[in-house]
Amino acid sequence: MKLEGTKEFEAPREVVWSVINDPSKMAKTMPGVESFEIADDTHWSAKVKVPLGLGGLKMSIAFTKLEERPLEFASLNAKGQGVGALMNMTTSFTLSGEGEKTSMAWEADVKIAGPVGSMGQRVLQPIINQQVGNVLAALDTEVQAEKADAGG
Amino acid sequence: MTTTETETTTTPTIQKGFAGQSVPRKEDRRLVEGQGVFFDDVKRHGMGYLHFVRSPYPHARILSIDVAPALELPGVYGTLTGDEVAILTDPFFQIAAEPGGSMKDYALAVGKVRYVGEPVAAVVAETRELARDAAELVLVDYEPLDVVVDARRALDDDAPVLHEECGGNLTYEGVWEWGDVDQAFAEADHVVKISELHFDRFNSTPLELDGALAEYNRGTGQWTITTNNQFPGFAVIMMAPAMRVGTDKLRFVTQDIGGGFGNKITSHPQLVACCLLARKLNRPVQWTEWRTDFHQSMSHGNERWFLDTEVAVKADGTMTGFRTKALDDAGAYLRYEPLGGVIWSQVAAGMYGWRNIRLEFTQVVTNKAPCSPNRGYSRMQHLWFTERLADIVAQELGFDRVEVRKKNYVQPGQMPYETPNGCVYDSGDYPAALDLVLELIGYDTVEERRAEAASRGKLLGFGIGSTLDSGTNNFGQSQLINPDLQFSGNNEVATVKLDIFGEIVVTLGTTPQGQSHETTAAQVVADILGCDVDIVHVRAGHDSYWNSHAGFSGTYASQFAVTGLGAVKGATDMLADQMKTLASMVFQCPKEAIELADGFARIADNHEAALPFMALGAIPNANNAGFPVDPPPMNARFVYRPPFEVPDKERKFGNLTLTYSMQIHACVLEVDPETGVYELVDYAAVDDCGVRINPKIVEGQVMGATAHAIGAAMFESFTYDDEGNLLTPNFYDYHVPHTLDMPPLRTSAVESPSPFTPLGTKGMGEGGGGGIHAISAALQDALRAAGGAIVTDSHNPYHRVFEMLTHPDEARAKVEVSNR
Repeated sequence: MKLEGTKEFEAPREVVWSVINDPSKMAKTMPGVESFEIADDTHWSAKVKVPLGLGGLKMSIAFTKLEERPLEFASLNAKGQGVGALMNMTTSFTLSGEGEKTSMAWEADVKIAGPVGSMGQRVLQPIINQQVGNVLAALDTEVQAEKADAGG
Repeated sequence: MTTTETETTTTPTIQKGFAGQSVPRKEDRRLVEGQGVFFDDVKRHGMGYLHFVRSPYPHARILSIDVAPALELPGVYGTLTGDEVAILTDPFFQIAAEPGGSMKDYALAVGKVRYVGEPVAAVVAETRELARDAAELVLVDYEPLDVVVDARRALDDDAPVLHEECGGNLTYEGVWEWGDVDQAFAEADHVVKISELHFDRFNSTPLELDGALAEYNRGTGQWTITTNNQFPGFAVIMMAPAMRVGTDKLRFVTQDIGGGFGNKITSHPQLVACCLLARKLNRPVQWTEWRTDFHQSMSHGNERWFLDTEVAVKADGTMTGFRTKALDDAGAYLRYEPLGGVIWSQVAAGMYGWRNIRLEFTQVVTNKAPCSPNRGYSRMQHLWFTERLADIVAQELGFDRVEVRKKNYVQPGQMPYETPNGCVYDSGDYPAALDLVLELIGYDTVEERRAEAASRGKLLGFGIGSTLDSGTNNFGQSQLINPDLQFSGNNEVATVKLDIFGEIVVTLGTTPQGQSHETTAAQVVADILGCDVDIVHVRAGHDSYWNSHAGFSGTYASQFAVTGLGAVKGATDMLADQMKTLASMVFQCPKEAIELADGFARIADNHEAALPFMALGAIPNANNAGFPVDPPPMNARFVYRPPFEVPDKERKFGNLTLTYSMQIHACVLEVDPETGVYELVDYAAVDDCGVRINPKIVEGQVMGATAHAIGAAMFESFTYDDEGNLLTPNFYDYHVPHTLDMPPLRTSAVESPSPFTPLGTKGMGEGGGGGIHAISAALQDALRAAGGAIVTDSHNPYHRVFEMLTHPDEARAKVEVSNR
C-alpha cells in the first residue's frame, strides 16, 4: 500500500527537522505506543497497540534509519511483528520552505501481512488513512511545542 | 430439496444382473457407523505432529529463519527449514518444457516466498496444538517484494518476476489451430467479438483436508506414507527423484478418503517435508492440514481469461469457427501444470460442430496459491467459454438459444464424431438430451413464469449449460506441451482371486475418495462369476506394497468406470476362465460345457454336476494332489490399457481421451432488480455417462457436482487484493453451498453406451461445470429486461449482479457485432 501527502507547518525547517529526527518525540506521535527504547542513533524500537477498530493489535516495531540529509531528507524502515500481523514500512520525508514555513512531503510504502492483511486493502486503507491523519496532527503538536521551547 | 428421476435408456449392450441396479453401497456401513479409517485415524506410538510455518507475504525474500525459540519449548521434537530441504532434496521434476521447465520447486520455500500461505518451515511437537503454538515462535525475517496478482499484468516489462530462473513469468505458450480459421471468418455473415471473458478462481471443498502419517524404517530405508493423496502414481514420480531414492522406497497406504476432486493430487511437497522430518527425528510424523491452510495454499482451480475472442456465424445461426487468446493463471508454482494448458483441448469444440478453431494459449505465474486439477480440470473453463459464446451469439444476433444449440450441437448421426483436433466423441444424442432437460424444467412455461415474477417485481431468467466430461485421458497429450516427455496412453490394474473358502477377493489400483469403487467393482465381478455381490470382497483402500498397481493408477480424471472396471472385468474374465478350466478337469468335460451361475461352476445342461466356489478355491490351495497337470491358480491380474496412439505433436492432433460423458443443466432464477440478490428457483440436470453400473451412485455424483457448480457460480471465489492477500481464507468469507442453498433439483439420465469401452461405460463425475454455464446464461437472460448486460465472468455474486444492473453498458461494451 503506497501512501503519500504533504503537510504544512508554521515553523522553521530546523524545528521540524529536530522533531522528525528525534525518536522520542516521534514516538509521541505514534498511536498506541506503550514503550519505547533507543538502541543507537539509527536503531530504535517500540511496542505499540495499534487501534484497528476490531480491538488493538499489539505489535513490536523495530525502526532503522536508512538515510538522512539534514534539513532536507530522511528515510526510515519500520518492521513490526505481532500476533496475526506483520508490518513492513518504508517511509521518507522531504522538507522544503523558508522562514517560518515548512512543507513536508512524505511517502510511505506499507505492507501488512498475515491474517490482518487478509482483511484486504479496502478494509485497511480507511483505518490507515485515519491513523496517518492522527500522526500528522500529533506531529504538528510536537512541532509547535518544540517551536515554543526554542523560543519561537 | 426434491428429486425425481426419469430414466431414458437406449440400446443397452451388456447383460445386466447386478450391474445397472442401485445396489446399496458396500462402503456405507462402516462410514455411517463411524468406522471408516482415514489417515488421521491412524496413530503410532511416540509420533509427532507437524505444523507448517507459512508465509504471511505474497512475495518476499527470506533473510533468515530462527527456529531456536520454537525448539526451546518443552514438547517440541524438531524443525525443518527450506535451507535443509535444499540440501537434502533436489527440485521437483517439472512437466513443463522451457521456460516453465526451469522452475525450482521444493518442499519448503527456498530463499524466497511467492504466495501467502507458502510453507517456509515445519515444526514437529508432542501435540498438534503445541506444534501450532511453537510454529508461532519461529522467527522469519522477510524482505517484502513487489507482487503481481493480475495475470494480465504478469508479462509487463515492469512486472516483478517470481522465478528468476524462468527468465520471467511466462511458463508456457502455444498456438492451437485447426481447420481454416481465416476462411471461416471471410465467409461469415456475422462476426461477434468479445473483448474479455473471465473464469474465476475457486476449488472444490473436500470434507477431509490433506494430510499424512509418515514413518521411516531405518533398517530398509523405506517410508510408509499413510495419506489421502489421490494419485500416488503421480506423487511417487515427483517425490522419489527429489528425495534421491527409488520409487520402491515410498509406500503409499490409504483406506478411506473424504473427498478429493483433484486438489489432493498435488500434496507431494508437503509429503516430502513429512518424510524428511520422520527420518530426521526418527519418529512417525503426522500432518493434518487446517482449513485456512487449505484455502491459502492447496491447489486452487485455474483462473483463465479469454481475450479478443471472435466467433464466425452464418446467417442461419451456424457457428463455423472461433479464435481467442486464452491466458491461464497458474498461481505461484506449476506442480501439475502446464497440463491445464492442454487438457482443455480434449473438448476444444465443446458440444458444437465448430471445424475452425484458433486458440493462443499462454500460461503465467502470479503471487497466488498454485493451481492443480480441480473437478472439471481445464475443460470446465473452456466449456464455460464455449457456452458463453453460444449464448452471446444467440442474444446479439437474435437467435433462439435452444435452436442455436440444436443446430450447432454435434448430431447423433455423426457419432462417433472426430473433432477438428482428432478427438473422438464416442456416442450421445445431445439434442435429445436438451429436449429432456427442457421438459424436466418446464421450458414451455418459462414466459408465463417470467410474467408472474415480473408482477412481483422480480427479473426471471432461464439458462442452459451444456457440458462434456471427457474421461480416461491419453497421457500422450502431455507431449503436446513438452515433446521430451515420455508419457503416453493410460492403464489401470485389478486382481481377482478365489480363496480357499470360496471368497472372491478383489484388489484395485485406485484410491477412491467416495466414488464407491468397492460397490461397483463387486457388481461387475458378481455378474461375470454368477454369484452374489455379498461374497465379492473388494479390499478397501490401496496399499502400494500389496495392491497391484500401474504407472497411472489412482482416482482422477473421470476414468474408473472405464479403466478401473475395465481392469476388474479383464481380471474377472481370466478368473472365470480358470474356474471353468478347473471344473472341466474335475468333470472330465470340455471347458465350454461349464457355466458359472448361482455360486457354482456347473455343467450347463446338467445342473446336478456342480462344484461350489468353495470347492474350486480349495482344490489349488489345499487339495491339489493327484492332478495330472497343475490346476489353475484361481488368481488373476489384468492391466487394462485403453487403445490410444501418441498424438501428432506438430498438428496437436489426436485422440486425447477415450470417452465423453455429457451433462446438460438448466436453471431458472429470479433477480431482485433493486439489490442484485438472486435465487435459483428451479433446476434440472440430465446426464449421459453411457452404461450406468449403479444409477444411484451416478446420480449422487451429478448432485454433488451441481452443488460445486452452484458454489462456483454464486459464492465461492479465491479473491486476492492488489497486495496479494487472500481475502477469502476460511469459511467466514468462502461460502460453500449447504443444503438450504440448493435449489429444487431434478435429475434424469440417458444411456448412450460407449462403443470403445469394455462395459459400455464412460467416466463421469466432472460434468458439474454445466451449472456454472447455466447460471451465467440465466443471469444474462434475466438482465435483458434491465439494460441487457452481458455476463462475462463465471463468478457472479450478488454485488456483481448489482453492478451489471446499475452499469449495464460497461458489460455490454465488451461485445461488438459486425455484419457482412
